[in-house]
Amino acid sequence: MNRQPPFSRRTFLKLTATLAAGAALASCTPNQKPTPADIATTGIKPTIPPNPTAGTVSAQPTQAGTNPTETTSIPEPSPSASPAYLAVTHGPDPAAITRLAIQALGGMASFVSSGFDVIIKPNICTDYHPPEYATTTNPTVVGTLVTMCLEAGARRVRVMDYPFGGTATSAYAFSGIGDAVEAAGGEMHVMIPSKYKFVDIPQGRDITSVNIYPDILEADLLVNVPIAKQHGSTGLTLGAKNLMGTILDRGMMHMNLSQRIADLTSLVRPDLTVIDAVRILTANGPTGGDLGDVSQMDTIIASRDIVAADAYATTLFGLTGSDIGYIQACAEMGLGTMDLGTITIQEIQLG
Amino acid sequence: MSWASWRRLRQATQVLFFVFYIILVFAVVQKRVAPALADIFFRLDPFTALGAMLANREWIAKFGLALVTVGVTLTIGRVWCGWICPLGSLLEWVSFHKARQRAKSISPRFRLVKYFLLATSVAMALFSGLTLFIFDPLTIFTRTLTTAILPALFYAVNSIEAALYRVGLLAPALDGFEGWVRGTVLPVEQPAYAQNLAIAGLFFSLFALNLLAHRFWCRYLCPLGALLGLLSKVSLFRPVIGTACTQCSRCAVVCKPGAVNADPEDFHIMPSECTVCLDCMANCKPGDIHFRFQSKPAQREEFDLSRRGALGTLATGAAGVILLGTDLRLRQENPWRIRPPGVAGEDEFLSTCIRCSQCMKICPTTALQPTLTEAGLAGLWTPLVVPRVGYCDYGCTACGQVCPSGAIPLLRLEEKRLKVIGKAIIDRNRCLPWASGVPCIVCEEMCPTPQKSITLEEAEVMDANGQPVIVKRPSVLRSLCIGCGICEHYCPLEGTAAIRVYDA
Repeated sequence: MNRQPPFSRRTFLKLTATLAAGAALASCTPNQKPTPADIATTGIKPTIPPNPTAGTVSAQPTQAGTNPTETTSIPEPSPSASPAYLAVTHGPDPAAITRLAIQALGGMASFVSSGFDVIIKPNICTDYHPPEYATTTNPTVVGTLVTMCLEAGARRVRVMDYPFGGTATSAYAFSGIGDAVEAAGGEMHVMIPSKYKFVDIPQGRDITSVNIYPDILEADLLVNVPIAKQHGSTGLTLGAKNLMGTILDRGMMHMNLSQRIADLTSLVRPDLTVIDAVRILTANGPTGGDLGDVSQMDTIIASRDIVAADAYATTLFGLTGSDIGYIQACAEMGLGTMDLGTITIQEIQLG
Repeated sequence: MSWASWRRLRQATQVLFFVFYIILVFAVVQKRVAPALADIFFRLDPFTALGAMLANREWIAKFGLALVTVGVTLTIGRVWCGWICPLGSLLEWVSFHKARQRAKSISPRFRLVKYFLLATSVAMALFSGLTLFIFDPLTIFTRTLTTAILPALFYAVNSIEAALYRVGLLAPALDGFEGWVRGTVLPVEQPAYAQNLAIAGLFFSLFALNLLAHRFWCRYLCPLGALLGLLSKVSLFRPVIGTACTQCSRCAVVCKPGAVNADPEDFHIMPSECTVCLDCMANCKPGDIHFRFQSKPAQREEFDLSRRGALGTLATGAAGVILLGTDLRLRQENPWRIRPPGVAGEDEFLSTCIRCSQCMKICPTTALQPTLTEAGLAGLWTPLVVPRVGYCDYGCTACGQVCPSGAIPLLRLEEKRLKVIGKAIIDRNRCLPWASGVPCIVCEEMCPTPQKSITLEEAEVMDANGQPVIVKRPSVLRSLCIGCGICEHYCPLEGTAAIRVYDA
């Protein structure tokens, strides 16, 4: 019965001490307290929204509130044409109008360099409904963007969101985005709770730091792909509102939602915003669930300027940028322009 | 094949079933398992099957699988205990050298306890009380894994990761690891459960009892073991010591459940206590212990329940059901007693739920928590929706899919969405727009019903600085509200939410 233990007490204590020392070393790095400085500096992208008046007026500057159906039908823009500030494309094929919109902005090659690490942030807010209900971004639009990024030489394309209804895995599956992204060669990324970090918002007017997913700030290219939906407190959820999916504590945002969304936008600054208005949700948003509230618009709005894209999207709901608090707040902070009269808008009807 | 090889086969089978059980536990957490597999161990368990069927007075088809276990036991004995039961295997592996010596001072009469527990459980089930099924070995193990061990494991992994992420160099490696395990092994949200310590305490006390005797739980306490033991008394083949026996007692020394009665006057193996582990056969010097066909029931043991004792347990069970059933905590309307979707009446639920905690394990938001006294002691460790902890996901039907006894009905998504589990009520004295003039309406945004169950009215009120401000004030449309609790869960107010779901 006197069995020999696998190792002696001394060996055991030695091993324990070594492990403890290793663990202590690992946790006692200078970054003990989450210091956001290193991320904040590398994270904020120096890109300034392009000069709104630059670029040729290849399409008529559309006024705010213009009925999107009054468009000048323009054939394929030649690659040599100057890129538009804001592209609006209409057509029955979501993939085709997505491609066309990016092309009008100068093509994906103007966003992606070889070896880029790209993050696409759609709106995958719940696991409640399939895409027809317009609660989550159109999977074809997301899949097309993944394909285009990879074609342009991206090293990897990750797609992520943090749903408030259901889990990431179930929402990725139910929205159809999971399948579309994987078919296109991208990867669905489940945001890791232990990775969130507090980061300073240097320009923040109401909030000066936020607990955010660092990869969003570190990506070489961040493509923001919201779906245009009605939303209780802000009126509409569009590009800037979609960035709420990058942070954890959204409850606190609601205390002064418009300004806080603008503060968050000043930190995240997506390089490209593509608003999915293939179908839009006009009531009972952002969760939806009634097909009677869904309007088929067959439209994609794309711009480097998140404020301009959002401002244009409001017109689909018969509103203007100044009707939505966070668009106004973003414009006041100089994050972009909501004055659609001063920018070049290329509107293209396809098919 | 020699007995030693058979024994190795048994040990391999134990490991195999244990690993299978653990894999299923993880698969259920991630909703990555077919419903037919998710509760397979429970469906093989004749104790819970018997209890649920007695309490419901109906044949529950799902539990038909338990007949397989019954059949095997009637053929060759408690194969379940020695070959399959994951808790039994674990308790066999965690054994202490001194336990063998200590066990000698424990009277074999204490084996009566398990028969008493079995008989009382069955008696209570006759009167529709399933409270004692918290002592089924599978429910003990599953409940402990669900509420204590897995959350602790996930917490440890998350904490270590959070620490390691501060070392910049490790980030790519951690990302790789995460991409592999998050959403497959590790859940996205860190789960936390009420009473994890009490539940873990019960579980780990079983290990502590192993200090007193090998497989203490299986010998003296396990009601499932008792049921299978009774069946083993009439099984067709039983281990019998042959005439070549020298009474060397090697078999008695090696037998983990202590099934060899080493009394020189009456040296024999007690089939009701034998877990078919084959240790005695592999160790018998003369090699004369064999399974032999038996036509008569096994002899009575001193610890067998007498007729008087059996009648006593019946009375105890009846008294227990009556006393538990007249607990004020159970009989009183309890606004916080929100049951999972589709559950009809409280009494019916308590007489069907086997307290296995499968539902708590699979609930993606950990909304389902074990009760303490919300349904009286009678409903101990049954599932409760606690919206502040987690909401009932509008896109989910998981709990009904994994419930072995059908206490939570299996519903299609469209059906489940119509099940009202409660009604939300706004406390206007605390709600930010109502009480403080602060814009909020998170509840309205979160509300998942196709037509929002919360309406908004604009009003000019005073803000914290006494300035007029226009806010939207929420009100619940009671006819539409299904009580999913997502409003209460996300209400940004500190502490108790300003909108709460009450049982309806």
